[in-house]
Amino acid sequence: MSLNTIERAQGLRVRSQQDLAAGLFMILLAVVALFLASDLPMGSLRQIGPGMLPKAFAVICAGLGVLLALSSLRYNGEKLSGWSWRGVIFVLGGAVVFGLTIRGFDLGPIKVPQLGLVVSGPLVVLISGLAADDRKIKELVIFALVMTTFCALLFKYALGLPIPLAPWLLGI
Amino acid sequence: MSEMIAHLQLGFGVALSLQNIALAFAGCLVGTLIGVLPGVGPIATIAMLLPITFGLDPVGALIMLAGIYYGAQYGGSTTAILVNIPGEATAVVTTLDGHQMAKQGRAGVALGTAALGSFFAGCVATLIIAALGAPLTKLALLFGPAEYFSLMVMGLCFAVVLARGSILKAFCMIMLGLLLSTIGTDLETGQERMTFGFPPLSDGIDFAVLAMGVFGFAEVLRNLENPETRDVVRAKIGRLLPDWNDIKQSFLPVVRGTAIGGILGILPGNGAVLGPFASYTVEKKIAKDPSRFGRGAIEGVAGPESANNAGAQTAFIPLLTLGIPPNAVMALMVGAMTIHGIIPGPQVMTKNPELFWGMIASMWIGNLMLLIINLPLVGVWVKLLQVPYRLMFPAILIFCCIGIYSVNNQPVDVAFTALFGLFGYILIKLGFEPAPMLLGFVLGKLMEEKLRQALIISRGSFMTFIERPISGGLLAVAVIILIIALLPSISKKRDEVFTE
Repeated sequence: MSLNTIERAQGLRVRSQQDLAAGLFMILLAVVALFLASDLPMGSLRQIGPGMLPKAFAVICAGLGVLLALSSLRYNGEKLSGWSWRGVIFVLGGAVVFGLTIRGFDLGPIKVPQLGLVVSGPLVVLISGLAADDRKIKELVIFALVMTTFCALLFKYALGLPIPLAPWLLGI
Repeated sequence: MSEMIAHLQLGFGVALSLQNIALAFAGCLVGTLIGVLPGVGPIATIAMLLPITFGLDPVGALIMLAGIYYGAQYGGSTTAILVNIPGEATAVVTTLDGHQMAKQGRAGVALGTAALGSFFAGCVATLIIAALGAPLTKLALLFGPAEYFSLMVMGLCFAVVLARGSILKAFCMIMLGLLLSTIGTDLETGQERMTFGFPPLSDGIDFAVLAMGVFGFAEVLRNLENPETRDVVRAKIGRLLPDWNDIKQSFLPVVRGTAIGGILGILPGNGAVLGPFASYTVEKKIAKDPSRFGRGAIEGVAGPESANNAGAQTAFIPLLTLGIPPNAVMALMVGAMTIHGIIPGPQVMTKNPELFWGMIASMWIGNLMLLIINLPLVGVWVKLLQVPYRLMFPAILIFCCIGIYSVNNQPVDVAFTALFGLFGYILIKLGFEPAPMLLGFVLGKLMEEKLRQALIISRGSFMTFIERPISGGLLAVAVIILIIALLPSISKKRDEVFTE
């Protein structure tokens, strides 16, 4: 008797949290896709419509998700380990702030002026740098300024990419 | 044969212009620089540095990108040997014996052997590409939509089989990539698909955005979570050139590694990753004293490093001749080529011969440069390894942000990348390996196009894929490798290869 059959004989329980979550995640994504594609025409095999492949892929994804979730009841696997939300918030937040400020942003009541690399550069380095456990604020501030200067020289002047530096101050 | 020489002559004529030599050198240097940093693999490196090439002409841009690619690949080996952290998947095996050699004070010899082995492999691979380029392109011109579709199905099956970890999860990632590729405007009807009515999505998800989110941002998040202990070798690096004894020991492994890596690299899927593993296993099997492996055996560095480099280069063959990227890095090259107005495929060789052969010739030049960049400058790279991660990742981040912004001058792309970073982080947490997703994503659009064309031609009959001999043969290969991979006894062996 193989190890797997022995395990099966011991009854159903979740043996791999990670796989179960992964299976459910796949099913969730597939459901979202099916919902979004619901009003797209399927077409026929002769003339495939815009909806056929998205729906087909979504159904396969859901099927694989079910398989994965079921297999988590049979085979041992890993637990879900802790999530570091601080990294997510600071690292991804820093990038979002960069996107919002580099050329300004205008969405209904929220208005962000066009600040340019001179502001966005240090912001992204500073904010993301906070995610490290061993951060040193003073070192980070200096590093932010150095990196921004370096990037401005490299991308704006050496490579000639159209990146706004500081339209509000220098007009470039 | 004379045709090949004429082609190579044309190529070297292009690649040896002063500007292109400088670009190849710059690419290799920058690639090595970033590749040495642990946690930044070739995919993130290329995505990050893509904007650097925007102002160049297409030939120069591709020469530089190719340089960045194998520079990053090579830099990964340096990190593997000196710090025991594989910069990327293909350098995993190098850590086993390479780092042991470094601990014994033979770091220089390990680096030198890796460099010389890679150089040899690179030279041979360049010749293979030159020899196979023309005939494969001719074959590709015979391909109709059905054959192309089947070829891509086979490629994805290889990607599933060769992916690390669970086959089921690799399957999930491929399908997810295909699903993501259907977002955007429908090719034939112009209807918006799954865009949430959001205008920036109507062109579909930008490839660089997805790649940078999943391989740049998500990797940073992963690394932040597991603060790696950097076991930087304190011992002297020692002399760089291997002595006569080392050369005698490593010559045959280099030749075998080159052959194994070169063949596996051509395969669609992720052949370049499998090459080093296969080479290591072979060397261990045929060694007189296998117990030396894992304790600083020079064969364990020479073979896999050659296989790695040969595979990295022959992976260009499917891209350049068929227009089909065999792995995630090559998928990024597709993105880079399209940005420069070149659609990869068999027509590249006939329409832009100077681009095609120039790029191939530049690979040889690049390999020579890597030798020059790496051996004498190894001290500089060691210094670079001492930059703490707390400063490195903000630097990576600002580069990624500027890079993504520059691709389309769209600030919203940066926010999207952050979103995909979160997505990638969730995938990593759930135990998914994101590389197959990227491949599915890139092949998805092409596959949909070919599927639709083939079905229109066959009036809706799926039999066309089986009835046409080439197409049927390719599908048969796909089915066979899937069956082999799913047979439990063999899949157990596969696990052994990867855990070793």
